[in-house]
Amino acid sequence: MRKSKWLGLAMAGIVAVGLTACGGGSGSGGEGGGQAAKGGAEPKQENITITFQNIYPDQTDPKYKMLRTIVDNYEKEHPNIKIELDSLNTDQQKLKLKTQAASKEVPDITVVNPAAQMQPFVDAKLFAPLNDMVEQNGLKDTFQEGILDYYTFDGNLYALPDGNNIALVYYNKKLFEQAGVEVPTTFEEMIEVVKKLKDAGIQPMAIGEKDTWTGSFLFMNILLRTNGGPGFLQDVLDGKKTFEDPAFIEAVDAFQNLIQAGAFQEGATSFDYNAGENLFKTGQAAMYFMGSWATGGIETSSANENGNVGVFKFPTVNGKGDVNEFMLAPGSAFAISADSKHLEETKDFLNYYMLNYPKEAFKLKGAVGLAQKVEGDFRAAGYSDMAMEVLAMFEDVKGGDLAFDNTMNPGTAQAHLSSIQNLFVQKTDASAVAKEHQTAYEQNK
Amino acid sequence: MNVLKVSRWTIAAFVLPCLIFYAGLVFVPVLVSVYSSLLDWNGIGESRFVGIDNYIRLFTADPVFWPSVRRTLVLAVLSMGLQLPFALFVAILLNRFIRRPNFLVSSYFLPVILSVVIIGQLWKTIYNPTSLGGMLNQLLTAIGAGDLTRAWLTDPDVAIYAIYFVALWQYIGYHVLIQFTGIRNIPADIYEAARIDGAEGLKADRYITLPLIVPIFKISMVLAFIGSLQSFDLIMVMTGGGPAHATDVISTHMYNMSFLSMKYGYGSAIAVFLVGLCLVATLAINFLFGKLDKRYS
Repeated sequence: MRKSKWLGLAMAGIVAVGLTACGGGSGSGGEGGGQAAKGGAEPKQENITITFQNIYPDQTDPKYKMLRTIVDNYEKEHPNIKIELDSLNTDQQKLKLKTQAASKEVPDITVVNPAAQMQPFVDAKLFAPLNDMVEQNGLKDTFQEGILDYYTFDGNLYALPDGNNIALVYYNKKLFEQAGVEVPTTFEEMIEVVKKLKDAGIQPMAIGEKDTWTGSFLFMNILLRTNGGPGFLQDVLDGKKTFEDPAFIEAVDAFQNLIQAGAFQEGATSFDYNAGENLFKTGQAAMYFMGSWATGGIETSSANENGNVGVFKFPTVNGKGDVNEFMLAPGSAFAISADSKHLEETKDFLNYYMLNYPKEAFKLKGAVGLAQKVEGDFRAAGYSDMAMEVLAMFEDVKGGDLAFDNTMNPGTAQAHLSSIQNLFVQKTDASAVAKEHQTAYEQNK
Repeated sequence: MNVLKVSRWTIAAFVLPCLIFYAGLVFVPVLVSVYSSLLDWNGIGESRFVGIDNYIRLFTADPVFWPSVRRTLVLAVLSMGLQLPFALFVAILLNRFIRRPNFLVSSYFLPVILSVVIIGQLWKTIYNPTSLGGMLNQLLTAIGAGDLTRAWLTDPDVAIYAIYFVALWQYIGYHVLIQFTGIRNIPADIYEAARIDGAEGLKADRYITLPLIVPIFKISMVLAFIGSLQSFDLIMVMTGGGPAHATDVISTHMYNMSFLSMKYGYGSAIAVFLVGLCLVATLAINFLFGKLDKRYS
């Protein structure tokens, strides 16, 4: 049996080698060409690969093309640099980044959300400050005033936003005509409109409430009105108010009135974001409350044939609030890993990218709701009436609030999101909702 | 051990890679989870050692936890109490009355090999509200039971049962296959001997098949129980734990806490609880069947 013993050992050896080979496969992605220049008269520049995690995987989205155009141009100008794209959809990217952050392997460039959502990453010192980089080539001046504040912590800027949006209501003009209703100017009128649409057999509003933030976004707009202005959540954080404040209770009641009037489609809580939006885009619902980022997709949808979709500002509630105060949605933003092996090159690339971003986006008709100033005549470039209306709305903005999960910590935010989702399936006493919020807030402080 | 006529070292050399893999992929993560469950940690930044605080809060102050444990256990009980006996019944019928049962067994097995995402989307469409053309509701209306129609997945009172049904339906074929194979492996001469003694048909099943299938049934039991405890994907696809936690089970709650609320330590505490539950349940099932085995042998 001698032979078979040696054979056995040899096979075990092969297995072992195979296993090590599998185990060693990861981790070499970020380094590309580690070997430096090979002598010679002209020392060649080091080859560098920069990993660029992004959330533009959708080929029909103008941003998909825009991203690739800028990257191609940059690679042509810098032949030694390769930009490796890691394109994921939003939820996957959030999860992947959290996992990468836990093992301190953040990609050179990644995407984060503003304020409270990026706080944990900043606290863990995962991102490089961009204060010096944003001054180069006048990049800072291309941003709208104040927008960078949402990405600044203790005087250090950590990320550059790709958008700045506001919440508004899109409506289907033809369906409004069929039911004989006008654009509502108060919340009470809006509920009447809902009832009339329903009587005419038209689905009044669409929402994708499986992705809980959608309902919360609308609810927070109501709260912005009943509170008579922005800053409710900040007051709670500062200890000046609690969730059991009358303004909050009034907002819950108003929101429930809207739901009980039958505004939303049956089974709304099983519709994800896309499925909800599709109801409106295909002309199956008359109104849709969403951030202005939806403009591009709605513009090209079947509901907007012949300029059929209009927009209006979220109305006042019980005569309170100002229609020119909006739910503000400073966009997802690009941050650079503090541990990046090629920090300077990465900063240089991101600087180039952000400088060219508005120009390329404008060309591709994707320049509504950018965080940067855009030069050019939108009308002449062929932007639609609806896009022009949305752009005009931006001019009227007199301040507003951020979404709940951008203000409160993740624990409180989750409790809030499921509490609001619950209102879609059962009527609940407003004071109980308030109490639920307050308890969650105190537990997660 | 020396029937194989190879040295202990050779055996060790072959077993070791597997052992290392198994330990590295199972035991180390479990131990790491136990450690993280003692931390107040968001998964990214600094962590703080808090002892058993996470467990205290989990067991005493979490309004979602116990209901989700109850839902998980109900699924396990339904799975063991309804699904398995039904699967066994089908397997006996197949064995007794169908001449070429392979086609049927394969058909029953089909849902098991389909991706859970497909199953989830399929049943979501079936459960859709009437206004969106949900098949179940249309069927109910067509047979004159219009009162029973509802939004199956968004009514918090029935949503979880709608999901139970799909979960049980999907894996019936799996257990039919296991038990059918078990029945086939019972030697035919036992049945022949029984026939001479006058036990035929279902009577033979009562006195021969059932006692002899016990070890196989035990495997099904353990698989069904552990499978129920770990159910996650189907719920994530169909409702995501909503509306408002009405369909949350232990594993979805763990996911929400770890990754959405960013309470990684707390999520780990739930994970440890789940591991413990699986362990205890497996031991309990083994113990019960050990007694049953003794009684029949």
